[in-house]
Amino acid sequence: MKRFLAALILLLGITYFVLPLIGMAEFSLSMRRGVYSLDAYRKVIADPQFRQTFGYSVVMALLTIVFGVLLVVPTAFWVRLRMPHLRPYVEFITLLPLVIPAIVVVFGYIRLYNTSSWLPLTGSTFGTNLLLMLGYATLSLPYMYRAVDTGLRTIDVATLTEAAQSLGAGWITILARVIMPNVLVAVLSGAFVTFAIVMGEFTMAALLNRPAFGPYLQLMGANKAYEPFALAVIAFIITWACMGLIQLVTRFSKHTKAAR
Amino acid sequence: MSFLTIEHLEKSFGPNKVVKDFNLNVEKGEFVSLLGPSGCGKTTVLRMVAGFEQPSSGRIGIDGQDVVRLRPNQRSIGMVFQAYALFPNLTVAQNVGFGLKVKGTPRNVIDARVAEMLSLIGLADLGSRYPFQLSGGQQQRVALARALAPSPQVLLLDEPLSALDAKIRLSLRNEIRAIQRKLGITTIFVTHDQEEALSMSDRVVVMHQGIADQVGTPFDIYNKPATRFVAGFVGTLNTLEADVLDPKTGHVRLPGGEARLGRPLPAGRITLAARPEMITLGAAGRDTSLAGHITEVDFLGSVIRIRADLGGQSLAFDTFNISHVSPPKVGEKVTLGLNAADLLVIGD
Amino acid sequence: MTAPTEARPSAGRRLPLTWLGILPFALFVGLFLFAPTLKIVIGAFQSQDGSFTLDNIFGLFTPSILSSYWISIKISFASALLGCLVGFLMAAAVVLGGLPGWIRSPLLTFSGVASNFAGVPLAFAFLATLGPLGLITVWLRTEFGINLRALGFNILSFWGLTITYLFFQIPLMILIITPALDGLKREWREAASVLGATGVQYWRMVALPILFPSILGTFALLFANAFGAVATAIALTGSSLNIVPIMLFAQIRGDVLGNPNLGYAMAFGMILVTGIANVIYIVLRMRSERWLK
Repeated sequence: MKRFLAALILLLGITYFVLPLIGMAEFSLSMRRGVYSLDAYRKVIADPQFRQTFGYSVVMALLTIVFGVLLVVPTAFWVRLRMPHLRPYVEFITLLPLVIPAIVVVFGYIRLYNTSSWLPLTGSTFGTNLLLMLGYATLSLPYMYRAVDTGLRTIDVATLTEAAQSLGAGWITILARVIMPNVLVAVLSGAFVTFAIVMGEFTMAALLNRPAFGPYLQLMGANKAYEPFALAVIAFIITWACMGLIQLVTRFSKHTKAAR
Repeated sequence: MSFLTIEHLEKSFGPNKVVKDFNLNVEKGEFVSLLGPSGCGKTTVLRMVAGFEQPSSGRIGIDGQDVVRLRPNQRSIGMVFQAYALFPNLTVAQNVGFGLKVKGTPRNVIDARVAEMLSLIGLADLGSRYPFQLSGGQQQRVALARALAPSPQVLLLDEPLSALDAKIRLSLRNEIRAIQRKLGITTIFVTHDQEEALSMSDRVVVMHQGIADQVGTPFDIYNKPATRFVAGFVGTLNTLEADVLDPKTGHVRLPGGEARLGRPLPAGRITLAARPEMITLGAAGRDTSLAGHITEVDFLGSVIRIRADLGGQSLAFDTFNISHVSPPKVGEKVTLGLNAADLLVIGD
Repeated sequence: MTAPTEARPSAGRRLPLTWLGILPFALFVGLFLFAPTLKIVIGAFQSQDGSFTLDNIFGLFTPSILSSYWISIKISFASALLGCLVGFLMAAAVVLGGLPGWIRSPLLTFSGVASNFAGVPLAFAFLATLGPLGLITVWLRTEFGINLRALGFNILSFWGLTITYLFFQIPLMILIITPALDGLKREWREAASVLGATGVQYWRMVALPILFPSILGTFALLFANAFGAVATAIALTGSSLNIVPIMLFAQIRGDVLGNPNLGYAMAFGMILVTGIANVIYIVLRMRSERWLK
């Protein structure tokens, strides 16, 4: 009885999650009347705007990841090593982007860094791109910091650092050669989440007027019949791939640790 | 007829038979321990009595009623768990009153009973505390009060002391036994600690690989172990290989000497056993003497544990510390004494 | 054990330099998280010429803005409530329902994906399913003659948005509540049952009170989550539904309210709502951790 009820609940839940995915996939395949075809996908891929926006978002995602890693890893390392009393505060700050809606943050950017301000980032294309990248970094901060900090918890930071120092290593060497390899898996999971977030992000890019994948999706949705669904399927696959890769690297790392 | 009867109880998990033909009769008010190493099936027996596990076969009767088909909440049983298992969201008083509350007992009756139980365990002032504000020993006493509050017919204790510090363990052991005597409640106590089992119980069941090896008073279990396992598991035991010289009179040759057991023995080679405290340094007043030399001296305070070598076999024994007598030295040749009647013949 | 502490004093003497280690982080969050937020908060209390005023806050109390807050709060509340309920039931089904153990891991992985699959693509998925030509809409019409539209259902409505939001709300609930359900000790259930409690009594008196802070806390988190969701709403409804994020979006783009500082006030209102929800979440979370220590 209990098991039957549990199975029923789960089945209903799964139905709710699967139907929209089927609907989305079905639509994306039905561009040609009467038969399933990949026409919508062909159309999408042939669209130069797709390639531009997709490429733009990929580059932005990679830059965000590099920036995020360079910012978060040394900070998390330093806080654990030398300023453990600050840990709760830093952790709280990194969670704030979940509290303050992205639209509010970007609204602040526009008013704070406009052409008439002391730091006129929105005045140039490069400046706006930089601002957007920093915005993405803010959005992914909770996930990146959490992943890296969890990774650091599993290693003995103080002992490793002292061991490296006693062998004559400087801070850069310690971070790059000792800490990074040990938290690589954590950094990678943070990186994949960041990638998924940036690829699907809409609000910041739209309000900063940059040609990213998210606004392009929205634009297509408003103007085309079948292409948006092909794009949605692509976006869904990217999300799945990122999450799948996280699972993969985590499992792989468990494997190597067991073998050691 | 006994108050709690367990007949031919068996339990299998998949292909593993963890309890085999378990039989036990417990009288009303009796305190019985299930003693054995981990994985011997003692906890499974307890969980079947509580109703958390269904026996594969067999019968469990409480006060003449077969309870095997009853759910745990229909059995009128009190249980104390190893990890306290107090409800963290309820105060101490609410925890203790839980069993009465679910039965729909009037509020004033619950309050009176809770106060009575809390004073019984000596925590009358802590009723409004939450479990996380108590020490381990206090939590376990609350758990005991909670189990006893609904006046169950049988009390089950599942290693209630093993999560506690050594000191608290000792005091709580005495407290549990005193409360049990006072209330006269039929109790089954599961433990892997032989000292606990021997000191607290009216009777002990020694379990081994799903089987009850021996059921008896602590005195019998210790002094007349029925099997080699019981002899080895309960207390420290020296075993000596001996050659039977005369099976009719029980005349045997031991390493370092001879003994006359005065009862018939099987012919050939047998294994004899002796508790360390039955052996003395020097054979004065003993009917058997053995020659050997000292190999080890451990000064334990009130007692000195000595190990001697008798013709290749090792024998441990204790002597009391006497301040003006210095203990023997390693390598010293000694004569050990014992009474042949204290030698146990070990079967299997 | 003593060696590391002996090495520390030298670091202690150089204390001022220790701060350099988190300077980049402090600069980053200062400039790109705190400063913009502060700008909004201050702007909400400033007039166009920069003097202090409460006019912007009062300006929120116009029927159109109030109703947008009201709809937003209703949608957030409904999607958080349903998300909690369904997520809880699904997590409980997997953890306590006696189903085979291998189901758990894929469900959690899928929840991780689905809770991140928000925004524009999610809106498309639901348009393809429950929109005017969606899979289910068409199926119900052709197979059963049920016309969802005639029954008052519209994907561009309160319920449409709520159902869509559930797609990321339910998985978030599953991700957070599964560990809490794991934290329910088997002994509690057993202790309750030997004390004579029925399954219902156990849930009412023990399990639910223990889980309650987690559930309510997650509810607050889901509420804030839905309240701040912009992309899904815009992609799904365009500008046909007046909810706070859509209005603010339009205001930032083109000052549709005709008063830039009123935009600050709207944004400030959003921070206030999500902030309060999150404070509730944090407080309740701490309480539940105290119990389960």
